[in-house]
Amino acid sequence: MEIVELILKSLAAGTAAIGFGILFNVPQRTLFPIGLLGAIGGLIKFGTMYFDGGIVFASFLSAIIIGLVSIRMAYSKDSPPLVFYIPSVIPLIPGFFIYKMMLGIIALTSVSNTDVYLQNLISTVNNGSKAIFILISLGIGVAVPMLITRRETIKKK
Amino acid sequence: MKMNEETNKTSEVGSILLDVGAALMSSGASTHRTRLTLERLASGLGFRIELLITQRALMVTVIDSDQEHFFSSLKRTSPHKINFKMVSGISRMSWHVFDGEWTQEQIAAELRRLKKLPHYPQWLVLTTVGVAGAAFCHIFGGGLIDIAVAFTATFAGLFVRHWSTLKKFNPYVCVFFAALTASLIAGFAEFFNLGNHPDAAFSTSVLFLVPGVPLINSVTDMMDGNIQNGIVRMVNGLIIAFAIAMGVFTVRILFSF
Repeated sequence: MEIVELILKSLAAGTAAIGFGILFNVPQRTLFPIGLLGAIGGLIKFGTMYFDGGIVFASFLSAIIIGLVSIRMAYSKDSPPLVFYIPSVIPLIPGFFIYKMMLGIIALTSVSNTDVYLQNLISTVNNGSKAIFILISLGIGVAVPMLITRRETIKKK
Repeated sequence: MKMNEETNKTSEVGSILLDVGAALMSSGASTHRTRLTLERLASGLGFRIELLITQRALMVTVIDSDQEHFFSSLKRTSPHKINFKMVSGISRMSWHVFDGEWTQEQIAAELRRLKKLPHYPQWLVLTTVGVAGAAFCHIFGGGLIDIAVAFTATFAGLFVRHWSTLKKFNPYVCVFFAALTASLIAGFAEFFNLGNHPDAAFSTSVLFLVPGVPLINSVTDMMDGNIQNGIVRMVNGLIIAFAIAMGVFTVRILFSF
């Protein structure tokens, strides 16, 4: 049953990637590859989390794979890699943690009870550090393939 | 006479390069990509260039092959509006120019064509981004009603953002209005106890505003050593995130009474 849920979530990530592709006005020929890439990214992220990989590592891994595949897609669809990786990475952005962190910070502005305050502080710092590390790992993850291949451009000269 | 012609050609190339660079920067390309593309175009046309790229302005010096004619100019780029059709089209064009197939007139014509290319129709953008919001809600564990709420909230929020951008509000204020609308709709659903996981709908209804392009481009720019541009983009992304937070915060205060 969990496999079905995993696949459904990955498909949802792919759908979201297509939505953002249309928002960013990508060329029509790249829409399907973007959806596929978003779904692959989702599958790797949720799959890694299913095997207790931790959400930060899972996001980093799937960002690296998205970066790698986007280079291949850039060859075949004749568009720069960023057209593929930016819409596909956006579904991985930890909106829920950012939201929780924001609520926590707002709650921290009013002190009522030391115990409640401490509880709140712990969960806020936890959510916030997760959110920040996931964001950084997404940004660096998509850049890793280009850094490793040390290529200035995806075309051969 | 010949001298004049050559000077004219140098200045024409300079202004075309500035146009291309400004289009790339405002369409959401990273600094490194803009620099690379402009250098490729210049070398295809037989010129050498020096560039200064910032978030809102470009400066180029064009030097022709016999080092006799110079042209320096500065151009302010238009406010950023992400358009990947432009990035992709310019990248394709730059390879034609690099292979020596295209002249500068063709570059100018292609740039005009790319600027005229239609965007996706508004109803399609609103619907697909709404579906994206619904998909986020599913990922965060929302049920059917929550998904419907997230769709409606995203749809309305994006509509408000487009509308306020047309009315020429400050871009951060546009984001604030959109976040306010989206979380107001999701907040009503939570208030009337619609759905079994209203938390998920509330937190995903503003996800379409998340400044993904500024934040990712910021990290990319910093990794490439364009630290200044990276910092500018990061701060821009943080201000957008703050505008979203203010919108959500306002709604939370409204519903806490």
